[in-house]
Amino acid sequence: MENFSLSRCELIRLNRDTFIVTFNEKIDFEPTQFIMIETETSIVRKPFGLGRWNDRLAIGVQVIGPGTAYIVRQEKLNAHGPCGKGFVPPKGRGAMIATLACLPMAFDLQERYDCDVFIGSVDEPWIEVPFPIVVGDEAFLKMLQSLNGYDWFLVIGSDQMEKIVYDALKDKAEVFVSFNEYMACGIGACRGCAKVTKHGLKHLCIDGPVLRGEEVWS
Amino acid sequence: MELRPPIVIASGVGGMGEYLKLIDPRYIGAYTLKTITFKPRLGNPPPRLIATERYLINSIGLENVGVEKFIEELENGLYEELFRKVKVIFSFAGEDFEEYLKVAERMVPHQDRFVAFECNFSCPNVDFNPLSDTSQLKKMLIELRKKLDVFLIAKLGIEGAFIEQLAELVEECGWNGVTIINTIRALHIDGETLIKGGISGPILKPIALRAVYEVRNRTNLYIIASGGIMDETDAQHFFEVGANAVSIGTALYRDPTIVERIAKRFL
Repeated sequence: MENFSLSRCELIRLNRDTFIVTFNEKIDFEPTQFIMIETETSIVRKPFGLGRWNDRLAIGVQVIGPGTAYIVRQEKLNAHGPCGKGFVPPKGRGAMIATLACLPMAFDLQERYDCDVFIGSVDEPWIEVPFPIVVGDEAFLKMLQSLNGYDWFLVIGSDQMEKIVYDALKDKAEVFVSFNEYMACGIGACRGCAKVTKHGLKHLCIDGPVLRGEEVWS
Repeated sequence: MELRPPIVIASGVGGMGEYLKLIDPRYIGAYTLKTITFKPRLGNPPPRLIATERYLINSIGLENVGVEKFIEELENGLYEELFRKVKVIFSFAGEDFEEYLKVAERMVPHQDRFVAFECNFSCPNVDFNPLSDTSQLKKMLIELRKKLDVFLIAKLGIEGAFIEQLAELVEECGWNGVTIINTIRALHIDGETLIKGGISGPILKPIALRAVYEVRNRTNLYIIASGGIMDETDAQHFFEVGANAVSIGTALYRDPTIVERIAKRFL
């Protein structure tokens, strides 16, 4: 865990609002660990999952407001991390279901573990990506129904998308979910990112961000 | 109490020492632990935070393990590294007057480990507001003073009574210092999400600055200024109106290295 500055290497536009930012620096991290990035529009740093793209450290950013717009605009970013627990899947073959902004995380996970990756997106991506992509809600739900023969699933996306995936897959295999509770410190100090689970409160920045779906929703 | 540099890590924000991962301890005058209560507290249900450019609203609700577990952790050496690296301030509170006294009693055998005890009278995220009943408050200030042989600091907010009058009472009861101010009750609505909590961040600075100014003009207490200190200039302003030290809280969330930058200016 340390403070550092990141210098942008490349900005890859995936579609109208989603980008991959690659950096010149190298950081050791585990799958689903994240960094807290400073923006000029919020008093707190924002968490972004770490991944790789074109052999470089990378994050995916969906521009949804001035903070995320700042991150894709800047040549240099202040951050600290890596934060959170690294995701270690159970034995067997798994599948990651993610949004387009999670491509760097998905790419990294697939390099480390025996898993397939499926991307759900509202729009067609503007570049070729190395994973199957389904566009639109109907196609996404159909894709979920077709996923069989896996020992575990990992889902990373919006709250709404994660719940839909959990409900669709919970009877097929264990579903792990990367939750999105608001964070301030990212290091376990503030206790802001509390999540109610059946085992009591968990703090996503130190107990997560990935929890078993059944801990939260069963 | 002599703090070099005159910079305190604020209670709550600093957790139980976690920021030593990100801040060089040479730049920390004292590190205030999260508030400990008599009974363990789960804190408030999520969502607990919302942040904008000018403020943060938190609704943590004093989540902590309770004094018995804290003492167990202390005795088992969980905080040894923290004590080795920095001066530590113990922060405590209760859900009624009696609980403040019970925590103090339990901590008496351990009081020498701490540079000061900060009594949190002003958390906006719990139901009990000790500042609203000054006669009871006075009794408690006297009782706590009798029990504890440490540098005693009252953390005061601006809700409940005029802060300078409260500070005078604190001084009259033989206490050594005050932390001014705490977060203030606030509400944020974002779509269907409603967060009821305590507001902090740059928006608090003029309020905190006025409070420190008033208290300095009325008392000789050691003043730890807290509220909206985001950079070296903010810290300078609080020293100009009479603060003895500045407490850094919400600014840590934007940039933990701010502590080092402020410290280098005021070492």
